[in-house]
Amino acid sequence: MEELEEKPSKIPKIGEVINYKDFFGEYPIIFGIKIISSLALVYVILEFYNYHNPLDSLITKYARGPIPGFKPDPAIFVVWSFIAGFGFYTFTLFKGKYKFFLLLATVILLAQYISDPALDWKVGEHAIPTKVEIENSEVNQTAWKWEPIKILYDDMEGSEKRIDDARIRVSNLIFGSIAFLGAFGIWKRKGWAIAGSIALAIIIGFLYSPNLCLENHDANFCGYEVKEQERTWDEYLSSGIFIGLGFIIYIELSYAAIKYENYAEQFKPAGLDISLLTDAQKKGVSRTLRTLFVSYLMNLGVMLIITFTLAEVVINVNDYLATSEGRIQDSVELQGPYGIVFTSLIFFMLLGFVRMFIGADYDTEDT
Amino acid sequence: MWSKKAAAVAGGAIFLTLAGLIRLNYLFISAGLVMLTFVVLASFLDVWMPNVSIRRETTSDNIFEDGTMSVKFIVKNTGLGLGFVEIYDGLPPQARIIKGSNYTLLYMKPWQEVSFEYTLKLPIRGHYHLGPVKMRVKDAFDLFYNERIEDTVHSFSVFPEIEVLEYQIIKSRSPKLLSGAMPLNLIGSGTEFYSLREFVPGDSLRSVNWKALAKTGKMMVNETVKEDVMDVIILVDAREVSAVGGGRDTPLEMSCRGAATYAKQLLDERNKVALMIYGESVEKVDLDRGEHHLFKILTALSSISPKGNLKLGIVLKDLLPYIPSGSPIILFSSLDDDFTISEAFTNTISRGYPITTISPSSLDFEEKMNRIPVEPLLIARMERENMVSEIRSFGMEIGDWKSDESVNTVLQGG
Repeated sequence: MEELEEKPSKIPKIGEVINYKDFFGEYPIIFGIKIISSLALVYVILEFYNYHNPLDSLITKYARGPIPGFKPDPAIFVVWSFIAGFGFYTFTLFKGKYKFFLLLATVILLAQYISDPALDWKVGEHAIPTKVEIENSEVNQTAWKWEPIKILYDDMEGSEKRIDDARIRVSNLIFGSIAFLGAFGIWKRKGWAIAGSIALAIIIGFLYSPNLCLENHDANFCGYEVKEQERTWDEYLSSGIFIGLGFIIYIELSYAAIKYENYAEQFKPAGLDISLLTDAQKKGVSRTLRTLFVSYLMNLGVMLIITFTLAEVVINVNDYLATSEGRIQDSVELQGPYGIVFTSLIFFMLLGFVRMFIGADYDTEDT
Repeated sequence: MWSKKAAAVAGGAIFLTLAGLIRLNYLFISAGLVMLTFVVLASFLDVWMPNVSIRRETTSDNIFEDGTMSVKFIVKNTGLGLGFVEIYDGLPPQARIIKGSNYTLLYMKPWQEVSFEYTLKLPIRGHYHLGPVKMRVKDAFDLFYNERIEDTVHSFSVFPEIEVLEYQIIKSRSPKLLSGAMPLNLIGSGTEFYSLREFVPGDSLRSVNWKALAKTGKMMVNETVKEDVMDVIILVDAREVSAVGGGRDTPLEMSCRGAATYAKQLLDERNKVALMIYGESVEKVDLDRGEHHLFKILTALSSISPKGNLKLGIVLKDLLPYIPSGSPIILFSSLDDDFTISEAFTNTISRGYPITTISPSSLDFEEKMNRIPVEPLLIARMERENMVSEIRSFGMEIGDWKSDESVNTVLQGG
């Protein structure tokens, strides 16, 4: 019998175009960690910008010079920056030439989007040269007619508007870079990106000045009218606790995803994928990961509850001290930032005192 | 101990708090204090950290090249604490893990005993050790840890690979008192065919070659080679020049594999074997026989490292007075960079020592690595062929060993 040679298909397999396995990962539990971590990231950034209006930032004040339409809105840019970070991660999954084609397609589509209003195409009656009878001629005379396609400059303003719009959207990444880097870091498993997103959050928070917007613009633009907002001291502290806990969840889970994925990675044959492991080996690794992660989550849960409780205790103690009468209250203004730091330091001192009496003793060995 | 992560989180938290004080940002202050509280509380977790003891078990003390060794770790929590334990076993850089991992992360409960194992492979001979074992007991968040280095070092040797030889090649004319399996190139009672001769009265009928009788019509008998035990000297060239190439593909590595194979065969046949290695100096394993002696030879072969540039002529001049007369010498050498070869062979043969040479060709390795241009390589090959022809002209056997040939093939050729 003749051997039938199977012709290779011209359509590439999905695995040759994009490394989609990287997205789902090899163990569902790690995929789950990434999703929880992403949700924590989006929550914490939204909450962060709730208390750090980007319009009150020094960045906005100076960015409005070169970009007049710059008006960042957290409700838009947080989610879109997260999607952009995730999109960039997806882009990195494409292989070889497909990555280049995707980049090219993106550039072409953007160019088409910007130039579309400005360019109009006028197609002639005879786009292809045609022999046409000449009207009103005595003899049936014919002539070649050809009217080529013409490009007309039509709505230049429309294009300029689109360019401005695109510039403003891109400029939103200044504030959205926290979400962009965070999303990329979580899904691409890059520790530096996660650390970078936190560092940016600190920098952006540092450059925030309450009511700065009203000094330069009117209330319509800023979205609020009064200089002093209706938020109480307690609200700030409670929100700070939640933001702090949110950051801890985000940091812990994203680094845990990296750590456990690296742990699972070492069982792969060098440079190859998990498919070469036997079912028993896969199950073994899966079981270990499950045990580790469940223990980790329990630890994290307990620690967060204790941290939250302790923080609430500190606030309440501070509140009690601030509102009651006494010598300390007279000498230190406890109802303010210095007060909460002062009360916290007392608690840390107490914890350090307790720490002296519990824990392992490390005897120094004689040399 | 503080981890980098703990330092970064604590540093960030303190910065947030201070920045909050400077900028009067309440949110920064409270977020910073929460993070700082988290770090401080995590520092308490080492109170419940497990007390871990480790035991390592291996399947064998010594392996052959490309052989595998399974390593099992038994980890026991001897206390009431619970927490994460990270274990890393130090491996020699040449080792390849083929199953499992030498690193593990465990969550230990009180009094729990857990085991994990991995299998490693070592492609090249030598003396190695596993360990020391690095162990970290840490909290779930990698913030604080206690590190311990266990000095449980397991030393082992990787012996050169041994092949099973199919034929006996070397022949000696110096029999010993005890009969053995080594052909002496003399007519006598043995199993290997030597020649046919006419039947004379007294010959056993069992030795009559009936096929030859049918063919010639004459009574012909088979003569066999006399077999006996002998002393064999294996001489290995371990000069620096023998390390040309890389990994397992060097004349020295091939020589070690050849010498190990040959020593095993000779010792199995109850001969006495001595090993002499020359490079910077001459190292000897004296004549002896038996399994224990094979172990000594393999250990010596595992220890060889290429160094020095002693010439064969000088080595043989020193050694010959101590070698039993007529004992065959088997030389494993690439014959590179040695102008004394002709003189050494002449002296050795003239004193009645048969010398068989197994010569791994270093030129093949150089060619593989594209380190020599075509023309110089051609000239080098011609020079080598001339050298081989010259040794053959002495009436001695020489095997020109190509890199892709097995030990078995080249020794047959030799």
